[in-house]
Amino acid sequence: MMDETVSRRVAVSGVGAVSGLGWGIGPLWEGLRAGRTAIRPFERFDHASHRTHLAAEAPLDEPVSLAGDPRWERLSLADRFAVFAAAEALAMAGLAGPLEELSGVWFGSSTGGMFESERFFNEFLRGRWRSAKLRDLASQQVNAPGDAVARWFGVSGPVSTVSSACSSGALAVGAALDAVRSGEVDVAVAGASDSLCQLTYAGFNALRSVDEGPCRPFRAGREGMSFGEGSAVLVLEPVERVLARGGEPLAVLSGAGSACDAHHMTAPDPSGAGAAAAVEAALRYAGMPPEEVGFVNTHGTGTPLNDAAEWKALQRVFGERAGELPLAATKALLGHLLGSSGAIEAVATVLCLRHGELHPVPSSSEADPELPVSLVLDRPLPLPGVRAAVSTSLAFGGSNAALVFSRWD
Amino acid sequence: MTEIFITGLGTIGAYGSGAGSLRQALASSELPGLTEMDRSAGYHLAQAPRRAFLVDPALLREWVPPGEARRMSPPSRLAVAAARMALREAGLGEGLPDDHTGVAISTAFGPSSYSEGLLKQILLEGPESASPILFMESVANAPAAQIAIASKARGPSVTICQREAGALLAVGQAAGDVAAGRVPRALAGTLDEMTPLLHSLLDRFGALARNSGPDGTELARPFDRRRAGYLAAEGATMLLLESGERAASPLAKVRAWGSAFDPTAPAVGWGTGSAGLGRALRRTLDRAGISLEEIDLVVSGASGSRGGDRVEALLLREAWGDRPLPPVLAPKSVTGEYGGGFLAAAVLAAAGARFGPTIGFGQPDPELGVVPHDGSPLPPPSAVLVTSVAAGGAASWLVLEAA
Repeated sequence: MMDETVSRRVAVSGVGAVSGLGWGIGPLWEGLRAGRTAIRPFERFDHASHRTHLAAEAPLDEPVSLAGDPRWERLSLADRFAVFAAAEALAMAGLAGPLEELSGVWFGSSTGGMFESERFFNEFLRGRWRSAKLRDLASQQVNAPGDAVARWFGVSGPVSTVSSACSSGALAVGAALDAVRSGEVDVAVAGASDSLCQLTYAGFNALRSVDEGPCRPFRAGREGMSFGEGSAVLVLEPVERVLARGGEPLAVLSGAGSACDAHHMTAPDPSGAGAAAAVEAALRYAGMPPEEVGFVNTHGTGTPLNDAAEWKALQRVFGERAGELPLAATKALLGHLLGSSGAIEAVATVLCLRHGELHPVPSSSEADPELPVSLVLDRPLPLPGVRAAVSTSLAFGGSNAALVFSRWD
Repeated sequence: MTEIFITGLGTIGAYGSGAGSLRQALASSELPGLTEMDRSAGYHLAQAPRRAFLVDPALLREWVPPGEARRMSPPSRLAVAAARMALREAGLGEGLPDDHTGVAISTAFGPSSYSEGLLKQILLEGPESASPILFMESVANAPAAQIAIASKARGPSVTICQREAGALLAVGQAAGDVAAGRVPRALAGTLDEMTPLLHSLLDRFGALARNSGPDGTELARPFDRRRAGYLAAEGATMLLLESGERAASPLAKVRAWGSAFDPTAPAVGWGTGSAGLGRALRRTLDRAGISLEEIDLVVSGASGSRGGDRVEALLLREAWGDRPLPPVLAPKSVTGEYGGGFLAAAVLAAAGARFGPTIGFGQPDPELGVVPHDGSPLPPPSAVLVTSVAAGGAASWLVLEAA
């Protein structure tokens, strides 16, 4: 197969986020650096009858400047997360006001406005037609958050939403990279948004994929994932455009790749071949050999099978280095944001590269001798000389995606 | 740039199974059979339309044996059936030659029946009643995953959800992957199932045609002054896209693809159709080196929707300006909205298929300034523009060429 032909180098010029650690990049980085988990008892909905009772819930009692805008009231939670993250990212990039025509939005989501829609369905499916409010369905579809961002910022270029389960956000960022590199757009707002809802909370519990305690990626005794919610956005532009207005890229998005296991609807290919193929495709896109990768932000859900398969994938790509390559497992702190996980972990990767430190996770259990990974524990790991990183997303149905980021300086 | 060819087409809808069935329906301009929706759950308003374009489940058995079908949701069965059809037509019915096949599909609503079933369990019976089987097949990318498993397609796998604009976005995604050399071939298409719940909700949002035919039955009237909504449909269409050096006996060539957004559109409705859409379409054509004069046929996504058809017309008028439009086909009065019949019709149009008069059209709308094709014979087209605008603001397009 042909290698990618490099056209325009693509910068990450701004990032924004909402997560269980709070609204904004500031609380996100502070919490990541401290290794502080946001997974705790939550209040989004009554979970007394659910099998588990923890999630990394975004705080709703924090003041949000956008809440004064009359449009805010019509947005679902997932829409609000998305618009806030996009606003923060665009402000950081120095792009204020309506976006020009040569701009687009590439977004991912698993559930869109399902949280609000469950109110409607709770009435409608019981035959309580009058009390079921159609307005609760207005943002139900998974393309709603991406469309909300486009609408809010006056985007008239391409707008597209991916819903490929846990790889949605990463695939959206990859599609945005293509669009900027090819010159289809000059500015891409790329990200994802998901809010907690009962459908997925009960669904993953039905699969017995959820740990009753906070998830423990790659650790012994791990029993499954933890839930999270939020949004993350990256603004992508040609490097030259950022420099021309006196800005400085936060990082370079060097490559994106994807591949499918074609193995099973929920279980990963235990050989890790599909995940490895995605990483290798991303590195090929970036024109980068595996030896140049300084750390990996793993998918790391904490499920027994997924972590084991991901370890196999790392071994395939990095060979003997796999055991020494520093790994981050952001889901141990933010939970699994489902379709949005790839986007927020991309932002985490950019922040770690930018700050020259890899965030830790709590060493809450023993290492798994079957998975001799170098997971960063308890304290941030300095990254002297590290210039590139990979972020992986491995989804239901075997859809795997990987992104490669490089330091700008 | 690598040339992209459509070498296989699989389609299933109310018109039947396979391109031949659809070709016949489009040429005759007779409505495929409309099926009564099950109203026993009580979801429908009294005045809601009673029928939709539904798939006869028996058509799937040839492509998805019962032993496989029992592990799939209805949309997954539709998707796998259409994918196998496309591969067989492309001469790959016995299996793909390697691991490098991508899958890019779209769905407007995802696996609706399984989602409904799961919500009933969780909300009405309690969370512990949630079925893992229903959950696993309720995610939007379940059909794409089932296609990949059934075909051993191990390239990129993407599911796009962008309402009515999704199908052409999926084709563009797949074409981009093949053009960039990531994979030598990709399955691209769209699918949706039409459930009583979904049908009733579309009606409650005012989207469906009610009693608009001469005998008081449902009829979609694309571009017509009297249009009052669309006919809902279910089905699946899959295309096999291959790079030029590998394509044999192609149906058509994918020459260009693009999209844009109307930020004046509300979440569940239509905007003013800003001039940005037409400019964006012109940019796509310019980047591909295609002049307006080369476009000798348009396949419009006009469905009979009052707002949607207005934006479809605005898009064409803004792009063409004062120049006369080429002939405009509006096949959704035959295929319905959703389920991919429109995408299949567009490919058939590029391959020179005969189209009859536009069903439902009789009175031009002076505000739109578009009169769809009257069924008179057309010369085989050289370049076909295919357009789709979506509720919520997205719009997408393709340019297909005769192979």
